[in-house]
Amino acid sequence: MSTAAVQQGTKWWSGGKSPFNASYGKVMMWYFLMSDAFTFGAFLISYGTIRFSQNHWVDPNHVFNSFPFAGHANLPLAFVSLMTFILIASSVTMVLAVHEGHKMNKAGVEKYMLWTILGGICFLGCQAWEWTHLLTGQHEVLVNGQLEYWNTTVAHNPFGPEVMFNGKEVATPGPIAFGSYFFEITGFHGFHVFSGIIINIVMFIKTKMNHFGQRGHYEMIEKAGLYWHFVDLVWVFVFLCFYLI
Amino acid sequence: MSASISSPEITFHPEHEDTTKPIWRTFWILSFLTIIELSIGLIIYNIHKGENPNATLVLAFKGMVCILTLAKAYYIVAVFMHLGSEVRNLIMTIIVPLCLFIWFIAAFLWDGNSWKNLRNRYNRINEKTPTEQVAPAAKEKGAKD
Amino acid sequence: MSNTISLQEAAIYQEHDAPHVEHQHHETFITKYVFSQDHKMIAKQFLITGMIWAVIGGLFSVLFRLQLGYPESTFPWLEDLLGHWAKGGKIQPEFYYALVTMHGTILVFFVLTAGLSGTFANFLIPLQIGARDMASPLLNMLSYWFFFLASIIMFSSLFVQTGPASGGWTIYPPLSALGDASSGSKIGMDLWLTSMAMFIVSSLLGGLNYISTILNLRTKGMSMTRMPLTIWALFFTAVLGVLSFPVLLSGAILLLFDRNLGTSFFLSDIVVNGKILPNEGGSAILFQHLFWFLGHPEVYIILLPAMGMSSEIISVNSRKPIFGYMAMVGSLFAIAILAFLVWAHHMFVTGLNPFLGSFFVLLTLLIAVPSAIKVFNWLTTLWRANIRFTPAMLFAIGFVSFFISGGLTGIFLGNSALDIHLHDTYFVVAHFHIVMGVASFFGMFAGVYHWFPKMYGRYLNNTLAFIHFWVTIIGAYLIFWPMHYEGLAGMPRRYYDFSGWESFKMFAGLNQFISVISMIVFAAQIIFIFNFIYSIFKGRRVTTTNPWGANTLEWTTPIRPGHGNWVGEIPEVHRGAYDYGKDGREFIPQTEPVGENESHH
Repeated sequence: MSTAAVQQGTKWWSGGKSPFNASYGKVMMWYFLMSDAFTFGAFLISYGTIRFSQNHWVDPNHVFNSFPFAGHANLPLAFVSLMTFILIASSVTMVLAVHEGHKMNKAGVEKYMLWTILGGICFLGCQAWEWTHLLTGQHEVLVNGQLEYWNTTVAHNPFGPEVMFNGKEVATPGPIAFGSYFFEITGFHGFHVFSGIIINIVMFIKTKMNHFGQRGHYEMIEKAGLYWHFVDLVWVFVFLCFYLI
Repeated sequence: MSASISSPEITFHPEHEDTTKPIWRTFWILSFLTIIELSIGLIIYNIHKGENPNATLVLAFKGMVCILTLAKAYYIVAVFMHLGSEVRNLIMTIIVPLCLFIWFIAAFLWDGNSWKNLRNRYNRINEKTPTEQVAPAAKEKGAKD
Repeated sequence: MSNTISLQEAAIYQEHDAPHVEHQHHETFITKYVFSQDHKMIAKQFLITGMIWAVIGGLFSVLFRLQLGYPESTFPWLEDLLGHWAKGGKIQPEFYYALVTMHGTILVFFVLTAGLSGTFANFLIPLQIGARDMASPLLNMLSYWFFFLASIIMFSSLFVQTGPASGGWTIYPPLSALGDASSGSKIGMDLWLTSMAMFIVSSLLGGLNYISTILNLRTKGMSMTRMPLTIWALFFTAVLGVLSFPVLLSGAILLLFDRNLGTSFFLSDIVVNGKILPNEGGSAILFQHLFWFLGHPEVYIILLPAMGMSSEIISVNSRKPIFGYMAMVGSLFAIAILAFLVWAHHMFVTGLNPFLGSFFVLLTLLIAVPSAIKVFNWLTTLWRANIRFTPAMLFAIGFVSFFISGGLTGIFLGNSALDIHLHDTYFVVAHFHIVMGVASFFGMFAGVYHWFPKMYGRYLNNTLAFIHFWVTIIGAYLIFWPMHYEGLAGMPRRYYDFSGWESFKMFAGLNQFISVISMIVFAAQIIFIFNFIYSIFKGRRVTTTNPWGANTLEWTTPIRPGHGNWVGEIPEVHRGAYDYGKDGREFIPQTEPVGENESHH
């Protein structure tokens, strides 16, 4: 039987088969991701709402302008671009793993799963560096008429509007919500990356033990891939909301 | 195709492309979009650095970044997550519920903006110290409660 | 061509299904009754846990009605029972708030969400669509055990020194965010949030299972438009849950951060005990938005299963097809969509932009359209029907009655102008207790009475059922109807004692009356529980597979179906679920092929 013929005459909703031509596991994964999209959506929309309610917001180019081993060079957006590329690249290797799975090529799946896991770990490492940098980096800030040195935490940040003090421009305390939301949302995303890595490691081990080869299909890799791409997708929006606008 | 049908619910085995060409093409598209986003980000940075940043211009650039992000999301979902090649029924049941986000975003941001306006208004009223200004403010607050 | 495909599919199905049938032979007590993966057992677990919670939640309402009805009296036995929460035999104000909060939380989430849709979605979906079990029995089992974990955490919060959460079931910050603000905002609040997070996981696992089972595992011939309305309702319920609960999860996480990590998501410009807090820039209204983005769909998560089951039961016992099947499905769909668009009508007077509010008024009033369609379809199904007044049918009709009388007051409240006067009064209490509390309970009772024979192979006792029904319907109206008048007079909800207000003194007698009736109604529920437990072991045995003469697939299974539901092959479906009173026949089961000369409805 040719697949095209089935495709045209199929009554998708008549029962006895999936209306999506997908196994229940894949359908479940899709709807789980929908649900998770609403979790992240709620976070990002809350962030937007609070941001809309403030007169002043932090300029991301001032906050995220450093790069590991680059000292105090002013490199806005450079590091986060690196993180974005790492995640996109690990997404590509994930698709390639799924692709190898379709071809039932066990060695290929293993290779690309390893690359994906590596990409995920690199991303988490970058995030750890960025968090450390924000939490330890001291910035001059004018508090109650006195100059102090503040780091960026969930409870305060030194990136408020600048005022003239003793003949030079000094920042005042910025909106608290900036740090709160930044750490909360990137933390929640990082948690997703972390769980994605765990899932991918499990999938790698299962591939290694040839579970999927015996089963006759690599659908589990596909489902893990969906999750991994979703994490990438969320990052695209986090990147937009926190770094670009 | 050598892969067998993975579940009894599946009617036919979907064709998978044998080449990895579309994957790499998407990778380059995504990278390209990201680079454009970054350059717009740097443009916004430079506008902010100059005297009297043009708010409308900044807003227009930010709007462009949002559109580019949606384009990136489209490519990730359609190609990487393979939704573009799924049965139409699945595509629709994913896309249609996402439309709820339109009102979700609009109502929330609208209300956020309204809090800013309210706050600024009451702060302005409170800053004017003469007593006859305080009375209506107190009255308005009472009406709000 | 198509024949070969279907043959192949049948072969695959048999292969796939065979292990299920074998499973029932080697089951231990643990795998059969505790960590069961059989959807029918999981449904019973949900039902019984829900019933235990209902007793606890109901008892709480009796306790605080005692305070409201007899504010001047003391009851020394209360101190023996509750210790320092009822010093001198009088319920303490903090405890009163804890009781109100826990009553709301328990009944909304643990009884009417988990106990209602958890029970009937698990029980009915595989049976009515013709599936061996849920898509993933393992996740289904986990769904129950996450609910159990949530229950344990919530239950433990009742016993901590500072008491359970007591800021109302909506846990609005800043009160709920600041431990210094009240004793109920201390550890009890953290336990509440943790418990709800577990509950959300449970509802997500369940909901994903329900959706993918309904979509993917329908038996051959069971097209979407041939599904019983119960399944449609449970489907939309699951969709609502999957898309709205995560938003509450976000809100709960943000609130946990505000409580424990010093963030300012919901806090700004606050002074507690003379101390100015450093928090700035957050917004308490933001939490309300997040909460009600779940909270409003939640109302329909509670109500839709009751609607679906009542539709089914009314049609079966009217011996008539449901009036306007497609209109019923369409209105369920419309309600499900509108449920997501109207959340801010709970917030008209809390600082929401009034202009934005006007959009919410419009969208809210739109819900009246699908609701009215449903009501008229139920009434026209009953119209000139040959009604069998079984207990299930009585409760289903009771559901319609409550849905009408509670729904109409919703039109009052949906208007932001009227809401300024009615907000947070007993009018609101009356409205939502009737339309979502009592109505959903009636749907649930109807479901239990109707499907008990399928669950346990025995009938419930009819005499006790009739007593239960009449006491409950009359009592519920006597409790909640007078509250409309109190609310119109401005009597606010959640107050501890009205005797201090000159304007509410006239309601002292009425409040006492309501309290007495609520105790009687509570006692009637004990009759039901007795009936339930007694009938499991001693009830009249079911002797026929189809005791109600119903069309749907669950009545084609053996009287006590094993794991896998059908012995042999799953039946094929040839027609819709509502061919009652057709061509001179009382009912035509879905499994019967369409005859050549059969008329169309």
